[in-house]
Amino acid sequence: MGKKFLKFEYLLLFAVFTIATCGLVYELVAGTLASYLLGDSVKQFSFIIGVYLFSMGVGSYFSKFLTKNMLNTFVEIEILVGLIGGLSSVVLFMLFESVYSFQFILYLLVFVTGCLVGLEIPLLMNILKDKVEFRDLVSNVFTFDYIGALLASILFPLVLVPQLGIMGTSLFFGMINISIAIALCFLLKSELKKVYLLRAKAIASFVLLFVVYLFSNTILSYSEGKMYGENIIYSNSTQYQRIVLTHNKSDYRLYLNNNLQFSSTDEYRYHEALVHPAMSMAKQVDNVLVLGGGDGLAVREILKYEEVKNVTIVDLDEGMTKLFKTNKILTDFNHNSLNNSKVKVYNQDAFIWAKNSKSKFDVVIIDFPDPSNYSLGKLYSLNFYSTLKGILASDAVVVVQTTSPYFAPKSFWCINKTLMDIFPQVDAYHAYVPSFGEWGFSIAMNGFETNFNKVNRQVEGLRFYNFQFDKFNYFSKDMISKDIEINRLDNQILVRYFDEEWGKL
Amino acid sequence: MKSGENYSYSRRFFLKGIATSLLVIPFLQSCQEKVITLLIRLSGTNHILGHRLRVKNFPKPSSQIHIPYLIVGGGISGLSAARQFSKKGINDFLLIELESHLGGNSSNGENKYSKFPLGAHYLPLPNKQDAALLQFLEEEKIIIGYDSKGFPKFDEEQLTFAPDERLFYKNNWQEGLIPKIGNAAEDDIQFKKFFLKMDTFRTGKGADGKYFFDIPLSLSSSEATIRAFDTITMQQWFEEEGFNSKPLFDYIDYCCRDDFGLGISYVSAWAGIHYFAARKQDSTQDNKDNVLTWPEGNARLAHHLQKYAENKTLKNHLVYEVKSIDGKVVATVFDADKKLTIEIIADRVIMATPQFVNQYLIRNRKIMTQNFHYAPWLLATLVVSDLADNGNYPLCWDNVIYGANGLGYIYDQHQSLQQVQSKKVITYYYSFSSSDVKKSRKDLYQKKSTYWKQLVFDDLKIAHPNIESVTEEINIHLLGHGMISPVPGFIFGKHKKEASQNIEGKIFFAHSDLSGISIFEEAFHQGINIVNQIIDGSTLD
Repeated sequence: MGKKFLKFEYLLLFAVFTIATCGLVYELVAGTLASYLLGDSVKQFSFIIGVYLFSMGVGSYFSKFLTKNMLNTFVEIEILVGLIGGLSSVVLFMLFESVYSFQFILYLLVFVTGCLVGLEIPLLMNILKDKVEFRDLVSNVFTFDYIGALLASILFPLVLVPQLGIMGTSLFFGMINISIAIALCFLLKSELKKVYLLRAKAIASFVLLFVVYLFSNTILSYSEGKMYGENIIYSNSTQYQRIVLTHNKSDYRLYLNNNLQFSSTDEYRYHEALVHPAMSMAKQVDNVLVLGGGDGLAVREILKYEEVKNVTIVDLDEGMTKLFKTNKILTDFNHNSLNNSKVKVYNQDAFIWAKNSKSKFDVVIIDFPDPSNYSLGKLYSLNFYSTLKGILASDAVVVVQTTSPYFAPKSFWCINKTLMDIFPQVDAYHAYVPSFGEWGFSIAMNGFETNFNKVNRQVEGLRFYNFQFDKFNYFSKDMISKDIEINRLDNQILVRYFDEEWGKL
Repeated sequence: MKSGENYSYSRRFFLKGIATSLLVIPFLQSCQEKVITLLIRLSGTNHILGHRLRVKNFPKPSSQIHIPYLIVGGGISGLSAARQFSKKGINDFLLIELESHLGGNSSNGENKYSKFPLGAHYLPLPNKQDAALLQFLEEEKIIIGYDSKGFPKFDEEQLTFAPDERLFYKNNWQEGLIPKIGNAAEDDIQFKKFFLKMDTFRTGKGADGKYFFDIPLSLSSSEATIRAFDTITMQQWFEEEGFNSKPLFDYIDYCCRDDFGLGISYVSAWAGIHYFAARKQDSTQDNKDNVLTWPEGNARLAHHLQKYAENKTLKNHLVYEVKSIDGKVVATVFDADKKLTIEIIADRVIMATPQFVNQYLIRNRKIMTQNFHYAPWLLATLVVSDLADNGNYPLCWDNVIYGANGLGYIYDQHQSLQQVQSKKVITYYYSFSSSDVKKSRKDLYQKKSTYWKQLVFDDLKIAHPNIESVTEEINIHLLGHGMISPVPGFIFGKHKKEASQNIEGKIFFAHSDLSGISIFEEAFHQGINIVNQIIDGSTLD
C-alpha cells in the first residue's frame, strides 16, 4: 500500500510540475503572439500576464464547487487544457485576418486557459489532502509548480521558440499535457471511473494535436518564415503577386513577391521623398495620379495637401488595394487614405489605362515594382513615358521611383535618360532609407512654368523632407554611371542592366 | 508560417477532417479535368471552292460588268496593285477575292484572348534603299519620322519587343536562334566562318554595280559566279564550302524551312544565301536586324493596304476563266454567295494569283506551271493556361525548338503592353519539307485534325512536357500551297520568266511566286511594278 501510494503521490506531483510548465508556456505563447501580431510588447505581455493570473484566480475560486469524481475531473481538465492551450496559437494565427475580433478571441483563450490551469492545483490538493500531510503537500505542490515555471520561462525563448516556432511550441506542450492525462488514465485505472471513455477522449485529443502539429511543420510554410527571418503575420497570393506582411519587434514589413515594399519604421522617409518634392514644385496639384502604390502610403502623403481635389490610383492588384482598405493594421499605416472620398482606385493595368485615359493630371507619382522582368520593364520604357505625356497637364510634374543609384547605377541613370528623351526638364535625387539602402528617384517636368528649386506649397509635420530639394540631388561618384542606353520596348535594356547589377549582389 | 493557400487548406482540414478532404480532392481534380476538355478547330484556305476550278461545274453567266482594270486576287500583291492604282489616280478598278476576307497569306484569326496570324507574321526592317517600302511604312505610321542622320525612326510598339528570340537547345533555352551554349569548339568556328561569308555576300556588289543579293530580288546583280549558286542546292553549297558542323547544318536547314517551306537539301543555294545576305540591316544606326510584328502578323499590313480597295472588292468570288476576246479581257466569275456566274469585261487584268491557280484560268499555262513547287504549311494556334518550361530564359516572341519537326512557335501576345495575360496564345508553324510536295498536300487534307493535334503536341513536348494538359483550345490552319519553294534553277529559270510575261499587253501577272521567294516585300513590289508597267510601260518602280 505504502509503495503504491508513493507512486500515486509522485505521479500527481509530476503532473503538477508538467501543468505548471505547460501553463506558463501557454501564457508566454499568448503574450508573444499578441506582441508579434499587435505590436507593443510591454503592453501586450503585461495585459496577458494580468488576465492570465486573474483567470487562474477565477479557476481557483470555482475549484471548491468541484467535489464529485475529483480525479476524473482532474484528468478531464488536463485534456482540456492541453487541447485549448495547444491549439490557441493555431487559432490565433488563423483568425488574425479578421482583425476586429482578434483581441477578443485572444483574451478569451487566455482567460479559458487561465481558468483551467487555475482549477488544477487546488483540485489536485483536494485529491491529495487525505493522503499526504498538509504541510508536505503544500510545500511539494508549490515547489514543483515553481520549478516547472522556471523551466518553462528559460526553455521558451532559448530552445522552444527557435526550435519549434510559436505554433510548434504550443502544440508540443498541448501534447505533453494530454500525455500526462493518458498516463494517469492507465496508471490510475483503479481509481478512475469510466476509465475507457476518459482514455478515448485523451487519445483522440492527442491524435488531433499531433495531426495539427504535423501540419504546422510541413504545410504552414515553415520554410517561408525561415526565409524572411521574421514572423509572417499575413500572407496571401493574389492573382498577380504574393503579399507577405511580417512583424518583428515594432517593425512591420510588407513584401511583394519576396521583395521588400516597405518597413513601417522607415517608410516615411521613402514616401516623403517620393511625394513631397513633386507636390511642392508643381504649379497645380488639383489632380494627382498614383501609378502602382496600392499600399496607399503615397496617397497618405498626397492628402496632406488640402488643395488636392482628386487622387487617382491605378494599381493592377485588387487584392493589394483591398487589403490596404480593410486591414486594421494597414489602414493605420496609410491613415485610411484609400477610403478617402477624394481617392478613386482603378484596379487596371497602368499602361493600358494610361493609353485610354482622357483625364489630365497635374502631378504623377509612379511607384511601380523594380524592373526585374520584361513585363515590368515595359512600364519604364520610352513608349510608356510618351504615353504618359498624353495625360499630363501642360506643366505637370512626374516622379518615378527608380531603384537604388548605389546598387544599380546603370538602371537608375537608364530610367533618368529615358525620361530625358520625353520631358524638357529632368532631374534625379536620392534619400537614405535604412531598410532599402540609398534609394533614388527621377523627377520630370512637362513644361517650363516651374522648376526644381521652386516651392509652391508645403506642409507642416514632415519627419524627413525639408522642402530643400538641392539637398537631395547631389550624387557622389560611386552613384554615377555613364554611357547608358535609353530603355525601349524593343531593347528592354533596363531589365538587362537591372539583372546584371542586382544579380551581382 | 501562414500562407493564403495553406491557410484555407488547413481550415478545410479542421472543418471537414482528413477523411472528407481526401474524398474532396479527387473530386476537385476531376472537375478541373472536365474544364480542360480540348477544343479543336480546323480551318484553311477555301480549297473546296478552289478545287472546283478543275471541273468548272459553274452556272452560265447571267450578267456582265464592264471595268477598265481588274485585279484578280486580294493577297499582298493584289492589294499593293490597288494601292498603286490609287496613287496613280486610277480608281476605276475592281478586285476579286476567292476568300471571304482579303490578305491571302497575310490573314489572321482571333480568339477571346488575342489576334493571331494565319500565315506571314513579320516584316524585317526594310533596306534603306527600298524607298517604296519606306514610304508605305511612313504612310501607315510604322515609321514615325527620320532622325538627323536620315535613319527612319520606327514606332516602338511595332518593333518586336525584347526579348525577341530564344532557342531550346540541349535541354535549355538560350537567347537568339543560333545555338551558342553547348557547341563544340569546331561548331563555333564554323558558325563564325559561315556568318563572315554571309557578311561578304551581304555587302558584295557585282560588276553591274548591283548588290549580289537584294530585295526585291529582281534588283540583284547578274554576276555569273553568284547566279551559279542557283544551280545547286544549299546543302551542296554547304558541303562544297567544307562545312560539316551538325548544329550549323541544322540551323541553315531551319532557316530554309522557315523562309521557303523546304529544307537545306531542296532549296537553291542562291535562295538560301539570299535569306542571309539580302537584308542589309542598314535602316537603323546600330545595324539592328529587328523585325516589325503585330499580334495578327502581316494581316496588319494587309489591313493598311485594304483601304485602297474599299468598295471596289468582290469577296467570295471565284474567277474561273480569263481570256482575251476582241481587244478586251473577259473574266468569268462565280459568285459563291449568290451561286451565280458573272462576266467581267476589262481593258486590263492583273492576275495577282499564284501560278498553280492561273493554270486553271488561262489556257496553255500547265507546262510552265509544273516547275512551280509550293510547300504545304500547317499552323496551330493554341490557347494555354500556362506555358511552363524549365524557365532558364523567358518566353520570347519567337521560340524555336532545336531538332523539332516544326519551326517553333510565336507568342501572339508578345506585343501586348499589358503586364499579365490570363491565358497565353501561341502559334506553332510547321512546313512540309519533302521532295514530294503533292503527297504532303494530299496528307494535309486527308489526315484528321486529331492527327495534326498530336503532331503539334509531340513537337512542343520537347520543351514543354505538360503542353497537352495546359492546352485549352487549338486552332489548326491548313495551307495547301503555303509558299513558293525556290528549288535549284527556278529563280533564274525559263518557266518563271515565261509565266511573268504578259499576254497581248492585256493580261498581266503579279505574285510573289513570280519572284521565287514568298516574302511581303516581293509581293509588295510585284503589285507596284505591274501597275507601273500597265500605265507607263515602265518595268521597275
